[in-house]
Amino acid sequence: MSSAVNLERPGKINKPIIKIEKMSKTFVSKDRKGVFKGKMKKVEALKEVDLEIMEGEIFGLLGPNGAGKTTLIKCLTTLLLPTSGQAEINGYNLMKEDNMVRTSMGCMLMGERGMYWKLTGRENLDYFGALYHIPKPVRKKKIDELIDLLKLQDFMDRTVETYSSGQKMILAFAKALINEAPILVLDEPTVTMDVHAARELREIVKDLNAKGHTILYTTHIMQEAEELCDRIAIIDKGIIMAIGTPEELKMMVEHEDIVTVEGIISKDAVLALKSIHGVKDSIITSEKNGLSVISVTCENSREILPGIIETITRHGGRIELISPETVSLEDVFIKLTGRSLSTDTREVIKEEKSGQN
Amino acid sequence: MRYVIKMNRQGLSEINFRNKMDLVWTVAVARFKTLARYKGWLIMDVSIPIVFAALPVLLGMALGGANAASNFSTNLQELTGASTENFQIYMLIGANVFMIVSNSLWQVGFWIRRERMTGTLETIYLAPASRLLVLAGVSLYANLRSILVFFISFTIGCLIFGVQPFQGQFLLAILFLLAGLIPLWGVSFFFGSIVMKLKEANAIINVVQLGISFLMGVYFPIEIFPKVLQWVALSFPPTWMTNGVRSSILGLSYFLDQWYLDFAVLWLFALLFPIMGLFAFQRIENSIKKNEGVGHF
Ligand SMILES: Nc1ncnc2c1ncn2[C@@H]1O[C@H](COP(=O)(O)OP(=O)(O)OP(=O)(O)O)[C@@H](O)[C@H]1O
Ligand SMILES: [Mg+2]
Repeated sequence: MSSAVNLERPGKINKPIIKIEKMSKTFVSKDRKGVFKGKMKKVEALKEVDLEIMEGEIFGLLGPNGAGKTTLIKCLTTLLLPTSGQAEINGYNLMKEDNMVRTSMGCMLMGERGMYWKLTGRENLDYFGALYHIPKPVRKKKIDELIDLLKLQDFMDRTVETYSSGQKMILAFAKALINEAPILVLDEPTVTMDVHAARELREIVKDLNAKGHTILYTTHIMQEAEELCDRIAIIDKGIIMAIGTPEELKMMVEHEDIVTVEGIISKDAVLALKSIHGVKDSIITSEKNGLSVISVTCENSREILPGIIETITRHGGRIELISPETVSLEDVFIKLTGRSLSTDTREVIKEEKSGQN
Repeated sequence: MRYVIKMNRQGLSEINFRNKMDLVWTVAVARFKTLARYKGWLIMDVSIPIVFAALPVLLGMALGGANAASNFSTNLQELTGASTENFQIYMLIGANVFMIVSNSLWQVGFWIRRERMTGTLETIYLAPASRLLVLAGVSLYANLRSILVFFISFTIGCLIFGVQPFQGQFLLAILFLLAGLIPLWGVSFFFGSIVMKLKEANAIINVVQLGISFLMGVYFPIEIFPKVLQWVALSFPPTWMTNGVRSSILGLSYFLDQWYLDFAVLWLFALLFPIMGLFAFQRIENSIKKNEGVGHF
């Protein structure tokens, strides 16, 4: 397990490019009732968030609506001043060197908003390039490059008001790439895209990552986070509940897994399976023409699977089909945000990590 | 195994004077492109000041009849110590300078409001460019548009009223016009920050415009006011701008007797107002970031 993790994970990369320390953000807003009545109300959108994002990784921020993902990103991109806390981005202090922080990032924050509808896509990109102080000839070249990369040829010279929702999203994505920043911040970039376009965007994100961009990606779609991200932070109610690789996060869930095995399996083998550490039960569910189907209940199918295979073959059995029920990030998520987990999940992660080495 | 590929730390950004000026120009050009995609804007822009001037001109002819011009001249002499019978140009200049002032406020104040609604203000705040450069670009656009409209509208207005447009010290009038634009930037930044804070532009614009048109003497010399109100009017740059343009074209009196003294006052304003406006803008910007952020409206 641990060796597999290390191969996939950018283990050689351990210099943080974003370092957040105890960042909190409290909004003060008015609960309005009628025309004149109102009550001041505080919303704690972020509560002492500590986070390190490593250079070269795709880091996912996964959380339900209202978790504080956008707030965290707005604080990091200097759109909001945090109520308290510190951050260092690309080696620059968030508060003192905010201009340098801004040059370090390319952002896609508000979906299809934030574009000039009466200007063409090309004119929009040129304008945004100028906002990053990119020299005009460089800008021109970069725009042509983006048109090729994102296949924008068909609508680039039409005004944005004529675009479909998906086309606006792609233009917003192009906007985030215009300054070739080392850090890309993408806040739910696929939210209005169809499955095909979303997959294409994820592929491009992977390519950009391979070219050296560090990527901070928020989403509330588990599959997306799982497919894309090297590491994920699960955030809920302004608190980071857990951080780790998708595998590490899944390991956190103490799950009763059921592995179904089909093949020629002797009674002895079924009994022997029960003595494997971590297996809770093992029963034959059907037998037909010498072919049995057994069902093994265990704590963690991923850990137990090699043991099951080994035990059955040792007892002279032959396996034709194994279907392990896999844990998804969804399970992790329900476990963490379904308010059933009362212990501090950050402690759990530490234990898991030290246990692996 | 993956390795970190070293990227350029600042991406493609190169913060230098040339690229800053390029931004100001790009912003102004983008605004002109947007304007050009709305049909009929020039006709609207040009006709409004002519109509504004026609109101008092026709009212004057209705009240004064054949004596309108000489009545105007006598009263003006009494109030200011210099006079002209050409009340048509007097009104046309008033209405046109007012349009410049009004457009500066509109185009900056309304611009902030609109950018905030469309989310483009947030895009601007994500970028390293100073907001002042973007504001400068918008002001440049507003100024160029105003001046273009001023010349067309003034010329056509004179033709309609049957008076000679290019008379007196026309070049000096242009200098007054240009000098008056700079303090207007300050006023519009100030105005823009109020719109940022209150998030509502139309009501403020209406109130402010009414106040301005009253104080700057669009249709009459401010000497007609009680002393206190005169002082209030004199603290406002467009009053000096209007008077300067009028006096140089029609040979009327300057507030400080010599044209260069009035001119100097405008330059003093040109120094003071932008600084005050920027200060207000930055204060409000910070307070907004502390709370809800520029994306909200
Ligand atoms: N300007 C504001 N004033 C008051 N409360 C706010 C403001 N902006 C955000 N909030 C609150 O802060 C909390 C976090 O919001 P945020 O937008 O960060 O969530 P999110 O994780 O991005 O959710 P989503 O997935 O829906 O985009 C929410 O409870 C939200 O209502
Ligand atoms: Mg969000």
